[in-house]
Amino acid sequence: MELAGQCHCGAIKVLFHPSRPPEELPLRACQCGFCRRHGAATTSDPESRLFIEAAPGALTRYRFGRKQVDALICAECGVYVASYLPLNGRGLATLNAWGAGLEAFQGRTPEPVTYDDETDEEKLARRMARWTPTELVEAMPSA
Amino acid sequence: MPRGEDAFTWRAGGCHCGGVRFEVCLPAEVEAQTCNCSMCAKSGFVHVIVPESRFRLTKGAERLAEYTFNTRTARHLFCAECGIKSFYRPRSNPDGWSVNARCLDETEGLSLNIAAFDGRNWEANAAELAHLSKEFS
Repeated sequence: MELAGQCHCGAIKVLFHPSRPPEELPLRACQCGFCRRHGAATTSDPESRLFIEAAPGALTRYRFGRKQVDALICAECGVYVASYLPLNGRGLATLNAWGAGLEAFQGRTPEPVTYDDETDEEKLARRMARWTPTELVEAMPSA
Repeated sequence: MPRGEDAFTWRAGGCHCGGVRFEVCLPAEVEAQTCNCSMCAKSGFVHVIVPESRFRLTKGAERLAEYTFNTRTARHLFCAECGIKSFYRPRSNPDGWSVNARCLDETEGLSLNIAAFDGRNWEANAAELAHLSKEFS
């Protein structure tokens, strides 16, 4: 199965290959100030695979809090697509399923979650255990 | 509930990184809308529509990026740093502003009556929002 999505303007496109039927995957509403303001509903799964491709100049990387991950935001339309953790040449991500417009995750009530009390080590361990192996490609401007 | 000026309070809000700040003047009880249109579904916007005079940008005009599509009437404004859309100029109410309830600092003492607006059928429904940006005479 392959689920295709994009930000509003289409400058950032995603392909999500779920390991299981999407309704069996988690959908989370992180209660931090960033996720709340974006109305994010995120999914991740270590057995699934995610590809993210951004058009030239379309990717804004925003770091906050412990500054370990890049929140991937479309520079054209402002939509928050995913949070990405670069790790030894590979990447892990949690996908904003609503931001990317994945139909399979619409109509669900996301589970509210908070990670305020985690140490840096706990955050890393959680992301390594739960996030989706991800390939992030930033297209280069053509010569 | 009195309808006079004294029933209204200026409330502050802003984006996540702090670059964009605004103030909006609201009564204790406000109508708010979620929306299922292509844009609102992706940005998670919760609309509080007010007249021009009840909104002011207090910081970060230079940080705002603008996005338009379709009829290009709505001016979607977001912080270029953190992507948050704190407010924008809506197509339904081009004479006013729509503030994102998710971006208010404090909602204590504020009762938000959130209704689902069917923005996928915008043409059939937009007129019901027009009164929200009218100035009091």
